[in-house]
Amino acid sequence: MNPSRGDMDIQDRGLGVRSPQDLAGGLALLALAGLALWLTWSLPQGTLDATGPAMLPRWLAVGLGLCGLALVAGAFRSPGEGLGDWSLRGPAMVTAGIVAFALTIRSFPFGPVSTPGLGLIAAGPLSILISGYATSDASLRERLCLALGLTGFCMVLFADVLNLPIPLFPRSVQVLFPADWGMKTPLRLAAAILIGATVLLVLSGRKRNTGEVPHV
Amino acid sequence: MSELLSNLGLGLGVALHLQNLALAFVGCLVGTLIGVLPGVGATATIAMLLPITFGFPPVGALIMLAGIYYGAQYGGSTTAILVNIPGEGTSVVTAVDGHQMARQGRAGIALGVAAIGSFAAGTVATLLIAALGAPLTRLALVFGPAEYFSLMLMGLVFAMVLAHGSLLKAGAMILLGILLSTVGLDLETGDQRMTFGLPVLMDGIDFAVLAMGLFGIAEIMRNLQGNEQRDVVRQAIGRLLPNRDDLRQSYKPVMRGTVIGSILGLLPGNGAVLAPFASYAMEKKLAKDPSRFGKGAIEGVAGPESANNAGAQTSFIPLLTLGIPPNAVMALMVGAMTIQGIIPGPQVMTTNPDLFWGMIASMWIGNLMLLVINLPLVGVWVRLLKVPYRLMFPAIVMFCCIGIYSIGSLPTDVLFIALFGIAGYVLIKLGFEPAPLLLGFVLGKLLEENLRRALILSRGEIATFVTHPVSLGLLLAAAALLALALIPKLNKERDEIFTE
Repeated sequence: MNPSRGDMDIQDRGLGVRSPQDLAGGLALLALAGLALWLTWSLPQGTLDATGPAMLPRWLAVGLGLCGLALVAGAFRSPGEGLGDWSLRGPAMVTAGIVAFALTIRSFPFGPVSTPGLGLIAAGPLSILISGYATSDASLRERLCLALGLTGFCMVLFADVLNLPIPLFPRSVQVLFPADWGMKTPLRLAAAILIGATVLLVLSGRKRNTGEVPHV
Repeated sequence: MSELLSNLGLGLGVALHLQNLALAFVGCLVGTLIGVLPGVGATATIAMLLPITFGFPPVGALIMLAGIYYGAQYGGSTTAILVNIPGEGTSVVTAVDGHQMARQGRAGIALGVAAIGSFAAGTVATLLIAALGAPLTRLALVFGPAEYFSLMLMGLVFAMVLAHGSLLKAGAMILLGILLSTVGLDLETGDQRMTFGLPVLMDGIDFAVLAMGLFGIAEIMRNLQGNEQRDVVRQAIGRLLPNRDDLRQSYKPVMRGTVIGSILGLLPGNGAVLAPFASYAMEKKLAKDPSRFGKGAIEGVAGPESANNAGAQTSFIPLLTLGIPPNAVMALMVGAMTIQGIIPGPQVMTTNPDLFWGMIASMWIGNLMLLVINLPLVGVWVRLLKVPYRLMFPAIVMFCCIGIYSIGSLPTDVLFIALFGIAGYVLIKLGFEPAPLLLGFVLGKLLEENLRRALILSRGEIATFVTHPVSLGLLLAAAALLALALIPKLNKERDEIFTE
C-alpha cells in the first residue's frame, strides 16, 4: 500500500540514480513548474498591497519547482522505488472509450469541425465496447450484453427517473417520432428494446454453452 | 441545552419529511452498493454519484449525499472484511482482524459489530456536531481574512503530514492543487490565467471533473494493471448479531474508538484518517493478550470501525462551521453545496437553519438506516463482490461519462476527465497521492481570496499574519507540526503507523 522508503534495494541503478521513481517525479514537477511560469510570463505580478493575477501562481510554481529539485537531488542520494510496471493498454483504451463518448453524445463544435450528435443510445454502448478492450479477458458477447443492458438502464435512470437533460437519440431519429408521443415514450420504448435484446443475448449465450464463446 | 434540543427538533422535523427520508434511504443504499465494489473508495463513489443528487432541492440533495458517504464508508468496511481489499485508507485496519474473523466463519459477527459500533459512534458524533456547531460558528464570525488564511495553511500542513508516503511529495501535490485552482479568470483583474486561451478553462477547472478524473478514472487505470486476485471469503457468513460475549468484549473498544475518532475528525487536514490506526494501536496496548490481534480479535474490528465512523462524521464540523473542508470527501461536499447555490461557511446556520439542522439530524437517521439496510442485505453484497472487474470497469467508465456530462452538458468536461485520469495515473505511478492535490485545489481559491483580502486590509503588510494573535497561534501550530514531522525519529514512527 505504502511505498516504503526503506525498500532494501540499495542497488545502484546506473548513472548514480538510486531512486528512478523520485527522479521521474521530480522531473515531472519541474516540467509542470516550467509550464506554469511560462503561461503566467506576460501577466503582472503586482505588489503586496495590490497583488496582481500572477503573484500566487508564480510563487506556487517556484515552490513546485523547488520540490522537484529536491526530489531529483534526493534520487541520487537515497535508495527508493523503481519505476514499476507501466501499462499502455489499460489507460489508452479507457481514454479512447471516454473520448468516444464525448465525441458522440451531442453535436459540439471543436474549431472548424462539429461532432455528430448521436445521443446516449450510441455514446453509451460505444464507451463500454471500446473501454472494454482495456483487458483481454472479456468476450465480445459479454461486452455487448453489458453495453446494451447498461445503456437501457441508464436511459431510464438518468433521463426518466432523474430527469437530467441528456440527449438520447440522434437528431435525425428524434424527428421521426410522432409528436403526440412526448419525451418519455420513445425513451421507454428504446430502453425496453435494449434490455430485451440483452436478455435475448444472455439467454442465447447460455444455450450455446458459454464455454465456447470466442475470446476477442 | 434547550436551544440544542429545539434545534435538533427542527432538524428531525426536516429529516423525517417523507421525501428526505426516502432520499437518505436511497443514498445509503446506492452508496453501499457502489462502495462495496472492490477498488472503489468513498471518494470515488461520491464523485460518481454526485450528479444523481442534482435534481433534488438543496436539503434533500445534501441529505442524500451524506447518506451516500456513510453508505460508501460502510460498503468499504464490508469489502475489507469479506475480501481483504480495503477500498480506502481508513478501512485498512478493519481488514486486518475483520478478514481473519471472516476466515474463521465469523464474518457475520464482524459485519454486525462493525455496523453496531458505527451506529453507536455515529450517534455520539451527531450529538457532538449539534453541540459544537453553534459555538464554533460564533467563533468563525470573528475570524478575519488573516485568520482564515492561517487556518487553511494549518489545515494544509496537517494534510501534508498525514498523507501517505513522502512529505515532500505530499507537499508538492498540495502546491500543485493550489496552482490548478488559480487557472481561469482572475476575479479581481479579469485577466486570463493559464487558460491556453481556451474558453472552457475561463471559469477555471471544474472541481467535479478533477475529482472524477483523479479518483474515478485514474483508479480504474491503476486497477486494470493489477492481476485480479480476489480472495472472497468462502466460509459461511454465520450469524450477524453478536452474542453477549461478543458485546462484552466490544463495547469498551467502541466507546474508546468513538472518543478517539471524534477528536481526530475535528482536526483540519484529514485527521480522521488517523482515527482507526490510533484506535487499533490503543486496543492492542490495552488488551490482556495482544497476540490475539491480527488473528481475528473482535476488538480490532469494533474499535477502529467506531473510530472511523466517528471521525467521518465529525469531519463535517470544520466544513459546516468554518466552510473549510478537511478532506477530499468534504471537498466534494463543498462542490455539491456550491452547485446547489449554498456557500458553505458560518453563515449557513443562520441563513439556512433547516438545511443545517436537517442535515445533522439526517446523519443520525442515515446511521440507523445503514444498520437496518446492511444486516439483511449482506447476501446481496457478497454476490456483488463476486462481479469480475472486467465487467465492472466499463460500467464505471460509462457512469462517470454520463455523470460528468449531466453536470454542465459539456462534452469537453468528458474529455477532461480522461485527461485528468491519465494525469492521475501518471502521478500514482510516480508515487504521488492524489488526495492532497484535491484538498489543495479546493482550498486554493479560498486561500488566494483571503490572502489578497488580508493584504489589502493591511496595506501590503505581510506581518498582518503574525500580528493577529489567533492567526499567529494557528501559524505556530502549523510550524510546530511541520517541525515534528521533520524530526527523523518521529518520521520513522509515522511510517510505521501507516505501514502496519
